[in-house]
Amino acid sequence: MLTVENLVKKYGKFKALDGLSFHIDEGHIYGFVGPNGAGKTTTIKIIAGLLKPTSGRVMVDGIDISANPRGVKSKIGYMPDFFGVYDDLKVSEYMDFYAGVYGIEKSRARKITDELLELVDLSDKRDAYVDTLSRGMKQRLCLARSLIHDPKFLILDEPASGLDPRARVEMKEILKELRSMGKTILISSHILPELSEICNSIGIIEKGRMVISGTVEEIMRKISRNRTIRIKVQGDIEPALRFLQEQPELDNVSASSDYIEADYDGNPDTLVRILRGMVKNDIPVISFSEVEGNLESIFMHVTGGVAANED
Amino acid sequence: MRINPVMEKELKVKMRGWKAPALITSYLGFLGLVVWMVFVSNNYLSRYYAPSFNPRVALSAYNVLAILQFCLLMFIIPPMTGGAVSGERERQTLDLLLCTNFHPLSIVLGKMSATVAHAMLLITASLPIMGTVFLFGGIRLRDLLLLMAFYLVTALFVASMGIFYSTVFRRSTVAIIMSYLTLGALSVGTFVFMAMYYVFRHSLYGTQFTYGEVMLFLTPNPIYAFSMMLENSDMGFILLDIFFGIRRIGMAQGSGMVNIKPWAANMIFNTLAAMVFILLASWRIRIVKKPLLKKRGRL
Repeated sequence: MLTVENLVKKYGKFKALDGLSFHIDEGHIYGFVGPNGAGKTTTIKIIAGLLKPTSGRVMVDGIDISANPRGVKSKIGYMPDFFGVYDDLKVSEYMDFYAGVYGIEKSRARKITDELLELVDLSDKRDAYVDTLSRGMKQRLCLARSLIHDPKFLILDEPASGLDPRARVEMKEILKELRSMGKTILISSHILPELSEICNSIGIIEKGRMVISGTVEEIMRKISRNRTIRIKVQGDIEPALRFLQEQPELDNVSASSDYIEADYDGNPDTLVRILRGMVKNDIPVISFSEVEGNLESIFMHVTGGVAANED
Repeated sequence: MRINPVMEKELKVKMRGWKAPALITSYLGFLGLVVWMVFVSNNYLSRYYAPSFNPRVALSAYNVLAILQFCLLMFIIPPMTGGAVSGERERQTLDLLLCTNFHPLSIVLGKMSATVAHAMLLITASLPIMGTVFLFGGIRLRDLLLLMAFYLVTALFVASMGIFYSTVFRRSTVAIIMSYLTLGALSVGTFVFMAMYYVFRHSLYGTQFTYGEVMLFLTPNPIYAFSMMLENSDMGFILLDIFFGIRRIGMAQGSGMVNIKPWAANMIFNTLAAMVFILLASWRIRIVKKPLLKKRGRL
């Protein structure tokens, strides 16, 4: 659905994008992640036809955006990170306005508006003025607006930013619904966990370059060298701690009041050998498990902890 | 087939609430008061100087109303259009329009037609008041229709210019000020340029202007064109006479443009300039860049 090839965007001497390439398959939800200032919004604006790249190519559904920008725009629904609304319009009028912009007839626009407001759970706000809506409701309205012309491809720039936890959950549910409708979605965020449940694949961008891109499983595999085990023992943890520190395959062995954690090389045989050794040495192991790798840890690993400083 | 959604939305928002009816009411009230005062003052004077109603008063009332309406167009349209595009940018709604396949030209035309329609609504609503002069004769329907056409073209010109500036400057206030400055340059600057040329020419040849030369300088001048259009008004000629000693007979000599009336030439100029401004504004929106003077002046 989307192919980005060697995208470069320069502002004077500053390179916002430096040969960025990635691909999104049809029907996939792609998490586009990176710390603030990494080039996410610049990339998204180029894909949405709002910025011209210095060089490189963007293809949406087989159409080159520089050759046929209007053709591409009809296939894209775009929700920016910051957006305004027309204060003096009611919700239904707001939707009708954008339906008109896409050339949708009034009668059809009314029907589509009803369906989309139901999708984003704003049916009861149909006659409310847009400026009376909460931030979360405005986000959902903007999402409904981006769907008014039934685009195949959705670009959502930080859709959950500034939302309270409840609104985030609601947004996530809507995105799952859109996924089931077969939409291809590009979601940007600088916080990975909020994408982990819904994305098929992710790309991590830093300083205008794609650091890593692929399905979640692929990426987990690629960086599996940094897996962690968590061990609980009964009673005194000192003998267990001493034993684990002596093992050459383990790094960063640390103890908290309840458990011990250690990094290992990702080889399952290592786990088997360590557990067997602990049992042989009469260490009373209660639990021995791998800490589940999550996208946040991948992100921190890949970007070298930049995100932590940004947040 | 839908009408331009930008125009539809702008008109809906403009006409919503109490502001639009209040503006129309107060404007018509003001015009009505002016007409009433003109007639009352005539009645008052007639008690001492003339026993009957002087029809010339009706003509004066018509001219006063026409001038007020013209001033309205010149002053009200720049603030209405100054924020047309820069306001969308300030409100962060411009990207939402530009990421659609809606043509930038349609955005500009929608904004412009909404502004012109709003201004013309005020003018059209005042027609019954202007119609009072028909009771006394002296004004033909043709004159009134011509005046309306002149207003419309002037409104299109000022609106398109305002929208163009709105695409150039980041802030709406700067766009508005630039519109006023341009109108000032056209109204006063053309006279100043003509005066400079006149002094230069007079010192060299000692001859008067031809009509063609006057037209060359004053065709874009809205005030000159308007004053030449007013029924039975010699205001334009009076201005030329005062500043340059030019009289009608002197001007008519040696010119191929003698048959083009100043207001007609101005209407043609305004129409062409409006088209250029519309195309430039459309192009400025399409390139989707930061405003032209952002880096230099933080405008």
